[in-house]
Amino acid sequence: MQFEWTEEQDAFRRRIRDFLQANLPGDWEKFSEHGPASPALTAFARTFCVKLAEVGLLFPHWTQEMGGEGLGPWEQQILSEEMWIAGEPRGGQYMNVNWIGPTLEKYGTPEQKARYLEPITRGESLWCQGFSEPDAGSDLASLRTRAVLKDGNYVINGQKIWTSYAGLADTCFLLTRTSDDRKKGITIVLVPMDTPGITVRQIPSLIGEGDIHEVFFDDVNVPETARFGEEGQAWEIVAYSLRNERLGIPRFTLARAALDRAVMMLKQRGDFTREYVRIEAARCAALCEAAGTANYAVVQKRVDGLAIGAESSSARYATVMAERAVCEFVVEFLPEALAGASPYLKMHHQRGIVAGVAAGSAEIQLNIIASDVLELPREPR
Amino acid sequence: MQLALNEDQRQVLDFVEALARPFASAPLHDAGLALESEELDAALVENGFLDVMTVEELGPVTAALVVEKLARLPFAVEAAASALVRPLIDPELPRPLCLVEEGRTSALLRFLRPGATVVVVGPSGVRSFTASEELIAPAQEDTLYAYPVAFLTGLPEATIAHDVDPVEITRAWRVAMAAEAAGLLGAALTSVVTYVSERKQFGRPLATFQAMRHRLAEAQVVTNTVYWLAMRAAASGDYADAAMALLHAQEAAKRVCYDYHQFLGGMGMTLEHPLHLWTYRLKLLTAELGGRGAQGLAAAEALWG
Ligand SMILES: Cc1cc2nc3c(=O)[nH]c(=O)nc-3n(C[C@H](O)[C@H](O)[C@H](O)COP(=O)(O)OP(=O)(O)OC[C@H]3O[C@@H](n4cnc5c(N)ncnc54)[C@H](O)[C@@H]3O)c2cc1C
Repeated sequence: MQFEWTEEQDAFRRRIRDFLQANLPGDWEKFSEHGPASPALTAFARTFCVKLAEVGLLFPHWTQEMGGEGLGPWEQQILSEEMWIAGEPRGGQYMNVNWIGPTLEKYGTPEQKARYLEPITRGESLWCQGFSEPDAGSDLASLRTRAVLKDGNYVINGQKIWTSYAGLADTCFLLTRTSDDRKKGITIVLVPMDTPGITVRQIPSLIGEGDIHEVFFDDVNVPETARFGEEGQAWEIVAYSLRNERLGIPRFTLARAALDRAVMMLKQRGDFTREYVRIEAARCAALCEAAGTANYAVVQKRVDGLAIGAESSSARYATVMAERAVCEFVVEFLPEALAGASPYLKMHHQRGIVAGVAAGSAEIQLNIIASDVLELPREPR
Repeated sequence: MQLALNEDQRQVLDFVEALARPFASAPLHDAGLALESEELDAALVENGFLDVMTVEELGPVTAALVVEKLARLPFAVEAAASALVRPLIDPELPRPLCLVEEGRTSALLRFLRPGATVVVVGPSGVRSFTASEELIAPAQEDTLYAYPVAFLTGLPEATIAHDVDPVEITRAWRVAMAAEAAGLLGAALTSVVTYVSERKQFGRPLATFQAMRHRLAEAQVVTNTVYWLAMRAAASGDYADAAMALLHAQEAAKRVCYDYHQFLGGMGMTLEHPLHLWTYRLKLLTAELGGRGAQGLAAAEALWG
């Protein structure tokens, strides 16, 4: 057991930092206040990711067959950490390299790979994830958006909600219902967002402009070849994808960086002498580091090629605890940060409060830990 | 970064496990809360398990792993200070080791008994002496802790000064306590999980009620991270890491002890159930080195000055 990065890993981190230093604009911090899915940041990401691709930093963790450097999970972690601390200048494209690309590679048809992987590797495409529906949130398997096969086309009707990036995305990774068999009746369809019959409506939110949307599907027609995997295979594929997604966002690093920033500001105005403030700050730091180690323990399992189970839920919940503590610390001791005094802390707050909801809520993580880590007898259904 | 156990570590833990097996369940006890076993202590010493830190290929992480593992036993063993602090002062110091902060020598001391080595750590340095009968005042007989405890009545005239940095010793002390707490938290959680999974009310196991499931799941999250922060602090030797590890451990102990007894209902108030053997050690550890506040201040100082 050892907790140090290798020299190569340190060098890799420096390479990313140098790149960020050279390629983020001077007013980046103010700029990144725009949500990760805002038009401004999405437009920025479209040129930024192209540059990342040019220097081999867009998907270095992908296998060599996929055009990557085959660097592995620790390097993916380092890349994600540095990007997330910087306010995620890749915008929604982080999803492409974390899970959409690898999922396409594993389950896609040759035509789907040819069509979609290439733009991802150039840093030019944006996806959205059409899973949640108004009546299917935590209980995702109850989703109702229908896809009916008719004359070689799927006709799609229904509604998605909370869909990040939908406003500007090129393609939707869409979950649809093709039969009434709960989990086995769900099928993935890859839908170009400019297909007639799709309406996207932005939802005003606390987390930054343009981040979440409603997406309506009215007799949307796509060819049968847009189906991804087999009919009814969605649940298996999504389980695979989300395992990658859960590790995708190292929120604890931004929380820790935000905490350091807050302490710096408190020091500057002479307010970091009060003992209870210092103790509270240390408690936040410990929670961030705790989340970090829990996440690293999961990455280690990936490195060792072991199946990742419910311990990723435990790491997620540790992250929620850290995010919450840092958000509360800033509000209590630096309230002006959310009113213009610190774009960085405001940006963190907007992203931090999401930790316990997006990609599966905190309570759902606790349910999973109870059943699959502690192995408590199951709740009656 | 390599968070899996290496071959040596796995072997050492397997040995400890085998040696500790006869001590894995608690004999019924009705007087006093602390369970000790001379036999277990002797076996640990004989097999060198308290000295693994000084073995080059093992080192402090392995020592922390051993301490964590031993803390899971229902028996209280003075392993933490001996395995993780003693090697930095003088590997030959007679056990048990009682660490005490300068200026707080009237504190309740774990494992204090005639022949124990008391180490006083503080700004003026690190000094030690062997506790003699006259220097020890017993605590109340039915003391509410699952460690053997006693008080010092004073300090002897002559003490041995050790040429070591008290800051470094305090760091190792924090790591030792965090590792011990990690094991206690793990064992207490397992014990409660077993009980509520078997105990039925309203026709179903208590563990099927979400009010319990969520609190236990949160306890799992903090227990897991106490373990990782303790191991990382052992590995890094970093002052901030050590302070955060003990802070997090003391936060966790405070958070879970009450709940755990609550979840056992009336059984949680008895000596029949072994839960107290872990929680009533944890309770005392929440006070170690000045408690959460002191750890927080130490961590803040190390992190941000
Ligand atoms: C910023 C953001 C971005 C998102 N992006 C996307 C996206 O791109 N694509 C997408 O498909 N979805 C997205 N989501 C949706 C997200 O996955 C859902 O919000 C989440 O799964 C929770 O569903 P819900 O909002 O319907 O809440 P609900 O399921 O209604 O839950 C409400 C509350 O009840 C609790 N609860 C629910 N079930 C249980 C239970 N069994 N036991 C105990 N408590 C329970 C929950 O924990 C929560 O606290 C996003 C959400 C956010 C906030």
